[in-house]
Amino acid sequence: MYRGREGQWAFVLHRLSGVAIALYLLLHVVDISLVMYGPDGPFDRFLAFYHKWPFRIGLILVMAGVAYHALNGLRIIVMDFSSWGVRYQRILWYLVLSLTTLIGIPVLFKVVPEILAGS
Amino acid sequence: MAVRARTLEQARELYRTNWELVWWVFMRVSGLALIFLVFGHLFFNNIQVNAGDIDYDYVASRFSRSWVKVYDSFLLGLAMLHGVNGLRYSVEDYIKRPARRFWAKVGLFTAASVIFVLGVMTLWAFTYEEMGEAIRALPGG
Ligand code: HEM
Repeated sequence: MYRGREGQWAFVLHRLSGVAIALYLLLHVVDISLVMYGPDGPFDRFLAFYHKWPFRIGLILVMAGVAYHALNGLRIIVMDFSSWGVRYQRILWYLVLSLTTLIGIPVLFKVVPEILAGS
Repeated sequence: MAVRARTLEQARELYRTNWELVWWVFMRVSGLALIFLVFGHLFFNNIQVNAGDIDYDYVASRFSRSWVKVYDSFLLGLAMLHGVNGLRYSVEDYIKRPARRFWAKVGLFTAASVIFVLGVMTLWAFTYEEMGEAIRALPGG
């Protein structure tokens, strides 16, 4: 009943995006900490490497993961606290996917030209 | 749950369960706060500016503002707790052997603590004001 249906995919995506964001966060705090070496330290050299297009695409994936994880987290909270949420969990999941896409489109329009112009 | 623990084993079980409830609530409350904190953060640093332009001067100009330090402190603290507890859930789910599970958690918590301290130092142990006025003229400055 649960396996292979929408509920399971919702869970798998929530896990994957959550683990990805958490690992990104650990790396991100370390890279920002390089500013402690000052203006002549390694920060700018390190970031030049980060500005290459594969990493910029990685950032888009991080943002997509954040949007999905946040919206699906709301869906989980609604399911925890109302029987209404459980009844409509499948529809709510499609709503989560639609909203993630809807937020994603303007972000892509903003970021993709920047990536094409750079690197 | 009216039955009180009669053995150490049961007491341990009860103790663990209560903490799990605390974390369960925390994940939901912090999750709600993080929606605003993280969306705001992504808006400032990847929508309002071109993330490809971020350099030392940009970060120094951000960190020379007190509200950014306070904002980032909440972001750092809540995201770390929420994220590391989420990673712990995965460790509990996928690493079955008790010894391996224990050491995986020791490794995770050690790395997270070191990185957390590094993040707090970045925000509070250094002043970026000496970068001067020029910096405030920069985009996002
Ligand atoms: C994906 C695009 C992202 C970009 C371009 C970005 C950029 C930055 C920049 C420039 C700073 C330093 C200045 C400031 O805070 O304004 C910073 C700090 C920080 N970011 Fe991000 N960020 C991104 C995503 C995230 C995400 C998804 C999270 C949380 C899950 C996050 C958590 C943090 C934290 C906690 C700090 C403070 C670090 C410290 O204590 O030193 N960031 N980020």
